[in-house]
Amino acid sequence: MNLPGIVRTVRWMVRDTVRQSLATKLFWVMLAATAVVTALCLGVRVENDLPPLTSDGDIPAILPATEADKLGRDKVAADGVRVIETDPEKRPRLTLAFGAVVVPIARDRTDAVRHLQVMLAGLLADTVGVLLALLWTAGFLPSFLEPQSATVLLAKPAPRWAILLGKYLGVVGFVFGQAVLFVGCTWAALGLATGVWANSYWLAVPLLVINFGVFYSVSAFLAVCTRSAVAAAFGTFLFWAVCWGMNYAHHRFALLPPDGVTAMSSWLLDVGYWVLPKPLDLSGVFFGAMSADGFAAAVPELRAIQSAGQFHPEASVLTSIGFAAVTLGLAGYELEMTDY
Amino acid sequence: MNAAVFENVGKVYRSGLFGSGGVAAVRGVSLAVPAGRVFGLLGPNRAGKTTLVKLLLNLARPTSGALTRLGEPAASRRTLARVGYMHENHAFPKYLSAAEVLAFYGGLSGLPGEVLPARVDALLERVGLADRRDEPISRFSKGMVQRLGLAQAILNEPDLLVLDEPTEGLDLLGRELLREVVNETRAAGRTVLLVSHALPEVAEVCDELAVIVGGRVAYQGDIDALTRQPDGSRRTLELALRGLYTQEVAA
Repeated sequence: MNLPGIVRTVRWMVRDTVRQSLATKLFWVMLAATAVVTALCLGVRVENDLPPLTSDGDIPAILPATEADKLGRDKVAADGVRVIETDPEKRPRLTLAFGAVVVPIARDRTDAVRHLQVMLAGLLADTVGVLLALLWTAGFLPSFLEPQSATVLLAKPAPRWAILLGKYLGVVGFVFGQAVLFVGCTWAALGLATGVWANSYWLAVPLLVINFGVFYSVSAFLAVCTRSAVAAAFGTFLFWAVCWGMNYAHHRFALLPPDGVTAMSSWLLDVGYWVLPKPLDLSGVFFGAMSADGFAAAVPELRAIQSAGQFHPEASVLTSIGFAAVTLGLAGYELEMTDY
Repeated sequence: MNAAVFENVGKVYRSGLFGSGGVAAVRGVSLAVPAGRVFGLLGPNRAGKTTLVKLLLNLARPTSGALTRLGEPAASRRTLARVGYMHENHAFPKYLSAAEVLAFYGGLSGLPGEVLPARVDALLERVGLADRRDEPISRFSKGMVQRLGLAQAILNEPDLLVLDEPTEGLDLLGRELLREVVNETRAAGRTVLLVSHALPEVAEVCDELAVIVGGRVAYQGDIDALTRQPDGSRRTLELALRGLYTQEVAA
């Protein structure tokens, strides 16, 4: 089949998968989750926040208001010291859910909102959201690959790998749409509620899509091999945990090599790290893009390796994408070789 | 000219650890499906008929032998654009409507976008589903799904139409429609390969047939020769087939 034929096949499969996802409850569940989080974001307020830092990385001295009053506030301010109010009514705070939850803060308005965005995208969407999306979409391919559903389709001139690729891109496209909705709605809601329009938050969209796409390739491979949604879902979860552990262990051992580590085991750890996807590093890329160092605590090992100059975000992202491409290629090969 | 040729084709379905075990579904089958005719493929259950269809359509790969489809090796997918396929229990995506199902499969068959909508409408009319075109097929009965399957199979006006147990679930009118389609396909000089247990249908529409028993060809020829007895009298197709089937059991 020529290139236009392959493109046509992929397009039809993408369209079918999007149609499939719209017909399932998954679409509405994810939409509802976005709506709930957006509503909560509309209820965010930042009150009595501190003035912004004068330069990046500047760590100011802080004094409680009672001490500052003793020394004289003007003198303290002239020395660049920040004063924290001790009266609860005047203290800087972030209120969530229309005042239902009050969180004391020691940062300016922009950093407070960016911190919330890092939590929303880096933890809620990138970890919980991606794992739930992997669970929900794990059934798409196995049901489609059942002989009763697949035989007429596989008797068409379209190559099987192109059919699989279209299905994969359809699911990733669906998650992309949901990620755009989630990030766009929460960005707009936080902007309207607080006046902070942090554009770097939009980088969460490619982060989420890459993270999901990398692990969905594993789900696709398992689906082709087993035609079981359970095996695809739990196999992918297990693989995600292994990758996270490998990523973490690599950084920890690179900084603080424990006694007794042989050159061989160190080499194997390096190989494992570079071959497998790197979910921890992908989070690190997002933290970096959000300049979150000043207000959010990344995994300490990741932060340390970033400080040591041993973190290579481009290589991490590219090797993770490369892993997905190879895995998807293997899934396509396996599908080509399968008898129906 | 033959629409399909099987040359000493064998198929073993591997099983067990590292494919150590296996079941031979088809053994040394050689047969030719002549172009422009209706060719019946008969045999008892588990004889290997569906395996032959799968091999022909590239759904499975032969363990041995060679196949050609419409003049090209069956491993090449190109000629599949000129093939239509309907089988008894196909599960179409339930979230699609009848019109969407046809558009989807037509698109994957390579039908151009400008032709597709008119073909879809015409075929839905032809199979009696025009009034249900936008309804999700999850609400369809088995007979309606079979009609849709027939429309899907002839969407690309195939040179080789493969029908695997097409009468399953079809009512009287559906069977008449199927016969019409088969006869029209033959009249247009195209080929039909019909796999069926419905002997009256086979006797009525097939020009030639092959009987597969135990994975081997037990008979290939026309129905007349199969039903004619040595003394010149005739027996029914059912009796003739019974003889072939029981020979294998005895063997």
